[in-house]
Amino acid sequence: MRVLGMDLGSRRVKICSMVEGQIEKQEKYGTVDFYKNYCKNIDGKIHVNFEKLGFSIADKNIATGYGRNNMGLYGFEIINELKAHTYGAMFATGLKEFVLLDLGGQDVKVVKVEKGIIVDMELNEKCAASCGRYLENMANVLELSLDELAQHSENPVKLNSTCAIFSESELIGEISKGRRIEELCAGINYSLYTRLKPMLNRFNGDTLLVSGGVAKNKAIIKYLGENYNEVIALNNSDFVGTVGCCHFGQRKA
Amino acid sequence: MKKIGLTTTVPVEVIYASGNIPIDLNNILVNGDLEKYIGIAEKAGFPRSLCAWIKGIYGVCLVEGVSEIIGVHEGDCSNTNSLLEILKLNGVKIVNFGYPKSHKLSDVKRNIKEFMNAYEVNLLEVESLRERLNIIREKVKELDELTVEGRVSSWDNHLFQVSCSDFWGNPNKFEEELEKKLSEARSKKPSKKILKLAYLGVPPIMNDLYSYIEERGAKVVFNEVQREFAFPRHAKAKNIFEQYLNYTYPYGIEFRIKNLEKDLADRDVQGIIHYTQKFCHRALDNIVLKEKLPYPLLNIEADRESVLDERTKLRLDAFIDMLGDM
Repeated sequence: MRVLGMDLGSRRVKICSMVEGQIEKQEKYGTVDFYKNYCKNIDGKIHVNFEKLGFSIADKNIATGYGRNNMGLYGFEIINELKAHTYGAMFATGLKEFVLLDLGGQDVKVVKVEKGIIVDMELNEKCAASCGRYLENMANVLELSLDELAQHSENPVKLNSTCAIFSESELIGEISKGRRIEELCAGINYSLYTRLKPMLNRFNGDTLLVSGGVAKNKAIIKYLGENYNEVIALNNSDFVGTVGCCHFGQRKA
Repeated sequence: MKKIGLTTTVPVEVIYASGNIPIDLNNILVNGDLEKYIGIAEKAGFPRSLCAWIKGIYGVCLVEGVSEIIGVHEGDCSNTNSLLEILKLNGVKIVNFGYPKSHKLSDVKRNIKEFMNAYEVNLLEVESLRERLNIIREKVKELDELTVEGRVSSWDNHLFQVSCSDFWGNPNKFEEELEKKLSEARSKKPSKKILKLAYLGVPPIMNDLYSYIEERGAKVVFNEVQREFAFPRHAKAKNIFEQYLNYTYPYGIEFRIKNLEKDLADRDVQGIIHYTQKFCHRALDNIVLKEKLPYPLLNIEADRESVLDERTKLRLDAFIDMLGDM
């Protein structure tokens, strides 16, 4: 059986197909590109053009994500994002006991899983200061790529503001003091970590799994190691929700 | 004939045998204006960071003019002990009773005998009351068993069992209402597919939990403490002493878990909701229950809200949703 999973994120749409428990193909698209070039509105329902996307027709389509409630998606079963990410993390690791931190473009989720079931969760407020979008913004200020930004964790400059916009002015202040680029990058990464920490306080546990695009940021993963015995950044971290949709669909069959 | 206030389940047979009327103060609290009762206690100096039941019971005693209560000095919490001292200051008469920590028959016997002496009743009178109340308890047991088949709502299962702490101060009236509910349940068809949950811990302070769970497609088919209040194993007890010995709530957690292991397996539950009252030492029990019981467990907590808060709703949603997938 083939299941197609789709995660409608704020920055990217991620699609994955799974056949008999094996990932067949996974791709991501810019959100605007996806809606503009691969979708058609027919009678108020959004029809996805699978052929144009290069995906075979599946027996089951499951979707999740930011955009899931805003649109009538034709032919899809919709599941909750927390559940999708939890299934994705269980598929990737085989673990049943963990804390999952999903660091997305515009939101952060923390889920505690025990015996394979969600027992607690936290979602961030409507503010992008603790999300991937913050890193993108700050990388732009420094004229660096996200990958370059993610490499540095030593001697962070202090960025105290809780607001992403004010942090930008603080960063510019530090630049003008002549601080090294490595220290500026570390400061940005560390400031994101300090915003995540209060959210994680209630989520004790041995293993922290990290998903979402920000899981690729090595510096943040390193800082998180201060709070957990083991921190695992999931492979293909931005596909965890998508893969979770597929895994859910296969389990249910 | 006096009204005697209860803070938890005690050998209610003794009170009825003495011709007095037991009234569970917790039930007055949850059915009344929580904020008003708690507010009275806080005005008197009870801290914000104290169990809402303790504060509420204090408020109930003052507002309702309760002049005599049973002080359970062993088998209940230390907050209750301190509450008793304050109530004494307010002129409330305290009659002592205790569930012995030893959990030995001889000690239970001694305590119940002292309790009987305080109300000047003999064993014969108490046993005759026990016989009468056990007829009602047997019917409550039937209602509880019908719940497993989906023929009784989670709320009714909770309500009729929790009410066995005082039988509403009027066992005949209670029995009448129970009969109505029973005949309704007997005539219903069993539900084929239900997501069965167990509810562990003290009864909830909020009153919409059960309906919320049912709206999400699950059902509570086992209410731990409420069921203990109804003494489902009463038929095994040869006398009142054995009945109150074979009662899990006030004794250690090991005895509680031993019973739970069997009961949860019998009822084939898929998950557990463990309720703990904010600021209560029983929150620590969660660590043990999670470790010892092989079921997914969601620990929920509330302070003084009579309805579920949004975060708890979200947590219940996700928990029930995922259990449904299993």
